[in-house]
Amino acid sequence: MVFSAKRYSRRGYDVSEELNLRDQGAAMWESWNRPKRVAFAIGVIFLVALLPYAADFSITSVLNTPITSYQSVLVYPVGMFVLMALGLNIVVGKSGMLDLGYVAFFAIGAYTQGILGTKTGLSTWEILPIGTFLAMLSGLLLGLPTLRLRGDYLAIVTLGFGEIVRLVALNSRETGGPNGITGIPNPTPLFGQRFTLDNPKAYFWIVLVMILLVIWMIRRLSVRRPGRAWEAIRQDEDVASLMGVPTLKYKLWSFSIGASIGGAAGVLYASKIMVIAPDMFTLNVSILILACVVFGGMGNIWGVVLGATLLAYLPERIRFITDARQLVFGLTLVVVMNVRPDGLLPRKKREKIAVKDKE
Amino acid sequence: MSEKVLELKNLTMKFGGVTALNAVNLHVNKGEICALIGPNGAGKTTVFNVITGVYTPTDGEILFNGANIIGKKRHHITGLGIARTFQNVRLFGEMTALENVLTASDVHKKSGLVGALFGTRRARREERESRDRAHELLEFMEIGHRSDQLGKNLPYGDQRRLEIARALGTEPQIILLDEPAAGFNPAEKVALAKTIQKIREKGYTVLLIEHDMSLIMGISDRVVVLDFGQKIADAAPKEVQNDPNVIAAYLGAPSDAS
Repeated sequence: MVFSAKRYSRRGYDVSEELNLRDQGAAMWESWNRPKRVAFAIGVIFLVALLPYAADFSITSVLNTPITSYQSVLVYPVGMFVLMALGLNIVVGKSGMLDLGYVAFFAIGAYTQGILGTKTGLSTWEILPIGTFLAMLSGLLLGLPTLRLRGDYLAIVTLGFGEIVRLVALNSRETGGPNGITGIPNPTPLFGQRFTLDNPKAYFWIVLVMILLVIWMIRRLSVRRPGRAWEAIRQDEDVASLMGVPTLKYKLWSFSIGASIGGAAGVLYASKIMVIAPDMFTLNVSILILACVVFGGMGNIWGVVLGATLLAYLPERIRFITDARQLVFGLTLVVVMNVRPDGLLPRKKREKIAVKDKE
Repeated sequence: MSEKVLELKNLTMKFGGVTALNAVNLHVNKGEICALIGPNGAGKTTVFNVITGVYTPTDGEILFNGANIIGKKRHHITGLGIARTFQNVRLFGEMTALENVLTASDVHKKSGLVGALFGTRRARREERESRDRAHELLEFMEIGHRSDQLGKNLPYGDQRRLEIARALGTEPQIILLDEPAAGFNPAEKVALAKTIQKIREKGYTVLLIEHDMSLIMGISDRVVVLDFGQKIADAAPKEVQNDPNVIAAYLGAPSDAS
């Protein structure tokens, strides 16, 4: 992707000085009018929606993942990771609060689906808002007393919360203890698509819709008051409060919105794999999601999407090298973070890109 | 005289065993430029911090338009109409100049998260209005051409100007300026003095901490002198200049005072 940088730069600011895809992309987007943007967005969404078929041709068959089915990999981990990384990005990337227990919200969503799905007749689509809401509520409840803490202290508390949720799931009868919950029903058909094990495409499209919804939400919030409040809090919380930003309120919003996205992902996940157990919700998952955010570029939606996609897909693609898999994965992380310390697509530098109201 | 916008009564602030402010009485009249001076460590910035809610005073009252504001949250105090700048520039470096001001002006917005998400009519109108106002403020501080540049990339002087613009963005009644001329050359100081007077003409009350005497003597209506957390003078600039207590505080007392 090489654009003519000079063409899109303004005020003599030459973006080609460094390799900066983000600024070039943003400048290009800026130079378009609305119909062009809409057409581009629809085109991209359409192409992404066709991803499940991408490995069907002989040239593209390299995309196929050995052992696991390519279409399943697109749903979990790829789609789910992107979704969760976007949620975590609101907390970590946008408002600068280090959350090491994000998996807790994923678990809360999953167990909501597990318990309600097996004990009541509710369908996944009915449980989805419930699980999302419960995750949001738990984010709020955790946030109220703890968001006065900052930095490392907050990280420790959230880490503890993640473990608490897992341990509660491990030791309660309602959650099936260490055996977890089995026989969780799949989602009921929607738009003529059956949600079964042999039709992962349907799940992918649903995850895609959720991802698009989240991206739309973040973009909306970013250019207005909440986005500015988060940004201010991230940069200097004391000054933010002195400039009139209700810091606790916006930190709570950030935390609970992030939590609700994790919860939504959890509901769908449980409904897809039909079996959940506490050992699926370990600290490892939290760290992996955080790695996706950092790897891709904290605070930048497209960076996070790219980072999560790569970090989710890569381990599946190289599954054939068995034991060396984790080694290669770790090495990739180390090398990339050394070459691009701010992530693949870093947060906006946007000197020249004024935030405009689209109206 | 005119009404008091801000009044500190018997304000005491102790940090452990250190008494930073000792029963300070101070008031600022509406529409005046009041200067707060004193040697290093006299407690000037502590006064600002106590007023804006960074510290809760040990004792005393802070009345803003007659109502006590002690114990209120910082953003609440800002919303009431008290804005400040910082001794060391503390901009949001990763935001553009315009966004810096917008962030501050958000304090009076009625629309919040839901409005932003669904682009309600009120949210869009408020956004438009605050954008226009932010541009005006940047022009007023003569940094209109910087609006799209990141805070951290501005030259030092413009960063200081942007801090004032940001503080004005909260639509304050009183603005607290903490050493706005620090690091300025003489020409810039003259320009700053004019700006401060323009700010007053726009109807804002100014409380100013400054070390540059010529600046203070030139523009302030009244000068309050602090030394070791105590008020030692409160008068017109001319009188303060000749006050023996003030001279002693700055230059050391004559030998018989030991």
